[in-house]
Amino acid sequence: MSGTPHGHTDTPHAPVFTGNIRTRLDALFPSYPTRQACLLPALWMVQEERGWISEPAMAEVAEVLGLTPAYVKGVVTFYTMYHTHPVGRHFIQVCTTSPCNLCGAEAVLKALLRGTGCGELGATSADGRFTVTEVECLGACGFATPIMINDDFIEGVTPERVPGILQGYK
Amino acid sequence: MTDRVSVTIDGAQVSVPKGTSIIEAAKQAGVLIPHYCYHPSLHSPAVCRMCLVEVEKAPKLMPACVTTVTEGQVVHVNSAPARQAREGVLEFLLANHPLDCPICDQAGECELQDYTFQEGRAAGRHDDYPKRYNPVEEFGPDVLYVPNRCILCTRCVRFMEDVAEDGVLNVSERGDRATIGIFPERELDHPWAGNVVDLCPVGSLISKDFLHKARAWDLDRTASVCPGCTQGCNITVDTRDNTVVRLRPRANLDVNRHFMCDEGRMDYRWMNRGDRIEAPLVLEGGRHHAVDWDTALERFGQATRGGSGAAVVLASGRASLESLGWIRRLLARYRVTAAVQVPMGNEAPLAGVPGLALRAERAPNAHGARVLGYDAPWASAVAAAGKAALVVLVDVTLTAAEAAGLAGAGSVVVLGTVEAEAWARAGLVLPVSTMAEEHGTWMNRDGRIQRFQQARAAPGMARPAWWVAVGALEVAGDMADRPTTAAEAFAGLGAHWPVLAGLTYEDLGLSGRLASPPMAEAAR
Amino acid sequence: MLSRHFGDAGARTFDGWVQRGGYAALRKALAMKPEAIIEEVKASGLRGRGGAGFPTGLKWSFMPRGDGKPHYLVCNADESEPGTFKDREIMRWTPHQLLEGCAIAAYAIGAERCYIYIRGEFTEPLRVMQAAVAEAYAQGALGASALGSGTRIDVVLHRGAGAYICGEETAMMNSIEGRRGNPRIKPPFPAQAGLFAMPTTINNVETLASVPHILNRGADWYKGLSLSNPKSTGTKLISVCGHVQRPGNYEVTMGTPMKELLFDMCGGMKPGRTLKAVIPGGSSVPIMTAAEADDCLLDYEGVVARGSMLGSAGMIVMDDSTDLVYQIWRLARFYAHESCAQCTQCREGTAWTTKILERILAGRGKASDIDLLLSLSESMTGKTICVLSDSCAAPIVSGIQKFRSEFDAYLSGARQPALAMA
Repeated sequence: MSGTPHGHTDTPHAPVFTGNIRTRLDALFPSYPTRQACLLPALWMVQEERGWISEPAMAEVAEVLGLTPAYVKGVVTFYTMYHTHPVGRHFIQVCTTSPCNLCGAEAVLKALLRGTGCGELGATSADGRFTVTEVECLGACGFATPIMINDDFIEGVTPERVPGILQGYK
Repeated sequence: MTDRVSVTIDGAQVSVPKGTSIIEAAKQAGVLIPHYCYHPSLHSPAVCRMCLVEVEKAPKLMPACVTTVTEGQVVHVNSAPARQAREGVLEFLLANHPLDCPICDQAGECELQDYTFQEGRAAGRHDDYPKRYNPVEEFGPDVLYVPNRCILCTRCVRFMEDVAEDGVLNVSERGDRATIGIFPERELDHPWAGNVVDLCPVGSLISKDFLHKARAWDLDRTASVCPGCTQGCNITVDTRDNTVVRLRPRANLDVNRHFMCDEGRMDYRWMNRGDRIEAPLVLEGGRHHAVDWDTALERFGQATRGGSGAAVVLASGRASLESLGWIRRLLARYRVTAAVQVPMGNEAPLAGVPGLALRAERAPNAHGARVLGYDAPWASAVAAAGKAALVVLVDVTLTAAEAAGLAGAGSVVVLGTVEAEAWARAGLVLPVSTMAEEHGTWMNRDGRIQRFQQARAAPGMARPAWWVAVGALEVAGDMADRPTTAAEAFAGLGAHWPVLAGLTYEDLGLSGRLASPPMAEAAR
Repeated sequence: MLSRHFGDAGARTFDGWVQRGGYAALRKALAMKPEAIIEEVKASGLRGRGGAGFPTGLKWSFMPRGDGKPHYLVCNADESEPGTFKDREIMRWTPHQLLEGCAIAAYAIGAERCYIYIRGEFTEPLRVMQAAVAEAYAQGALGASALGSGTRIDVVLHRGAGAYICGEETAMMNSIEGRRGNPRIKPPFPAQAGLFAMPTTINNVETLASVPHILNRGADWYKGLSLSNPKSTGTKLISVCGHVQRPGNYEVTMGTPMKELLFDMCGGMKPGRTLKAVIPGGSSVPIMTAAEADDCLLDYEGVVARGSMLGSAGMIVMDDSTDLVYQIWRLARFYAHESCAQCTQCREGTAWTTKILERILAGRGKASDIDLLLSLSESMTGKTICVLSDSCAAPIVSGIQKFRSEFDAYLSGARQPALAMA
């Protein structure tokens, strides 16, 4: 049976949608004619809260929105920004699509892999601090090379700037 | 009155109702447009792109499954652009599809094979690029998923979501990484889930029950009806070397559309039982002796000819209309109490098809039997049997207590298949064929009379129960026109049961026919 | 016009926008009949700025009237087309310009609710838009009675989660509905049955941001902004990136010569470099040679006349240091990553062509690979639910047609491999 390689623990899943977070979700319902339409926002809430979206969390979202767990998983795995396993404290996305590629994006990517100690794409550094991934066009092509660290959007990154940038993320 | 639209498909002009898709209109024109994701019982997503056809005046090739016909439309299914498009789709599908044919169950009944032979490229150009690989997954009690063979037609996902209304399957990931997925801790265990194996055009979803059992080209296929319950789903019985190896649903838009339930699907092993009685037996000197049919029928005929008083018939819910009818004819001189044995179970509807369910009454001819007068409550019929002059058992299974209760009966005649305790005292034990071994008809809960057909040879000297009854009648001298075939046996029922009057096997065809006036039962 | 206030932090606030002339157009619109607004936009010649170039007024006129169903406006802020980065600027610097355009459009098409679908990676534009929406409600420009008109106009911000394909209008609707971002088959068309099966219009950020200006200054004025073909009117924000001195967004009048944009406004090539190729419309259009770019006019017809398309006008500029085969491979990889997986040709074709290009770059290509790429590209064109498949084929076909020698150099071994095969 399919299962996630990481993060599948024996500790029971603590519900995400309680208290404040449940209130925030409930406040969204009037904005859409169906509960299903709240799926992407609900998944963002889970990821903001837990750092990633586990299968039990998917099942919880399914129940809250009246969907099946398989359906929710199908949606989660479609969108690349949702993490289905734990990632480093600081999740780094580097654009290497052609416009940035022309402007040295691959060198930036290599510098980040070195600087974070991650070693390879998608891996988390030993100290759990960073995960570096290669992504497609981030929509800042004129300000190459853009990277994202969690929600921070940093433009004009060069290999030289990398050490300084990383220092800001503990 | 519905508007009709006239279209020309590959030179053949047809007139179809407004709103018909090109793919359905083409069927009327005798043209099968190759397709994968389309299915008449599912909502069409037009994703496989196999059914692209050339439509004059349209700027692009159009997917025939979702394009509705317009008046005067001219469609080319086999023009060069359409064939090239199909060749392209096939090549793309084969890019990562493994050459599993030698070990794949679907071989011989595989739509990827079929269309590739028909119009695919002679040689692939994917060369030695490594193919995508994912391990086989167990989706449920019977279903295996082989991701490498999957062509992502999504029929399985759509069936579970829209027809079974049990959304346990999904499409996971994106692009060429996409596969069908199932949520962990969930199984494909819905009572109708086995249909995904039939729906799968390739050998991606396969049945564990059928795994590596037989090659499609070794099978004989017989159109029949499921013996599981009163729904009467139309099926195909697949046999190999006289052994039933698989049951599959057969399309009947009025009964079961394209589906059958898992319980019916898996319940065929009894058809292959080897412990059958193979010769007529007479009780003499406290023991059963095998005799020939002439002797057996002579005995039976004499017994019933001189008979009077009470007779009780306990019949299986699988006995055919022909058998049940002619047995009653045989016992015309008696005061008959007749009952049909109907095991009960839980109902399991297929939510997306109104009127389709695994029915609580697990007997295909329960309704038909009652229409033919087998309407006594079972318990009272069994009780009456203990005091009857003649008891006839037609392939029933009795409990020890029920069997013991026959001790007081005048004489007991068994028309049976598998030996049982109850027969110890039976004067005559006559081997009869099962529904897999004879032609016959049943009436389902909607009053639909449907034919089932012989799929394997009956063992030994077993014969249809109607044939036994007719033979005995002949001895009793009561036969004017003796039916020699099941068709004749059926036609002969109309004289005594008006609901069947004037009907022939030809009238029933292989989709059956509603009795007239309508004879649907109130929900049981 | 659109970019006037880029860089001006004061333009972000409601008051700041009003000071700069904002919300006058909305006030004017709410006093007009919706049909009149549609006619004005039609007359202006405004065409969809997201890439398709469909006449906006005409698209609005497809919406049914008096049908009693809820109508929806969807603002496409998914901006994921490689080379394009203009919509983020509009949202970051002038969120109210966009909101005003959305409100006018919603009113014109009879929609009480507008969903603005912002790609998940645009965290700053999202924050800015959230603040702007809150302000607009607080100031009564949005809500149950927009600007006191009695007309309800609601705006809901919906965050995407990483899928280029959600920029396709029907995929976007599926995404808002909480589904996988799969494009839908058409018919039905969005104006008949779109979001939540209701009549819907989807417009790009730049398109909507243009609307207040048309209302303020009139269709004739907008129509007059046309240097070449009268069917291409107004201004266009061109996102220039790659090998120019000054990459960035440039607002030009339709019909401006590409040469002027690249060599004057953007400062031309880097020192010692010459122009080799341009992909003008975001990456999903044919590659143009320097010669074709030399006398190309920047409007819809002008670029078509030079063998490509204006598209989203995300201009990727490549100088003579560029390994074109490498960049085409990188683009194919992009499309393979973003394919939704519905259509056979796209799902398999994007990945297969990527593999072939990778092999060529690794020095293991075969002479027959060129014909194979062209053959597969043809199978991938015009046969799918959406045009992602065609978009993958475009740079491949145009690259082979116009830069064949670069492919041959790898095939013959004259050029050293750029990649190592695993």
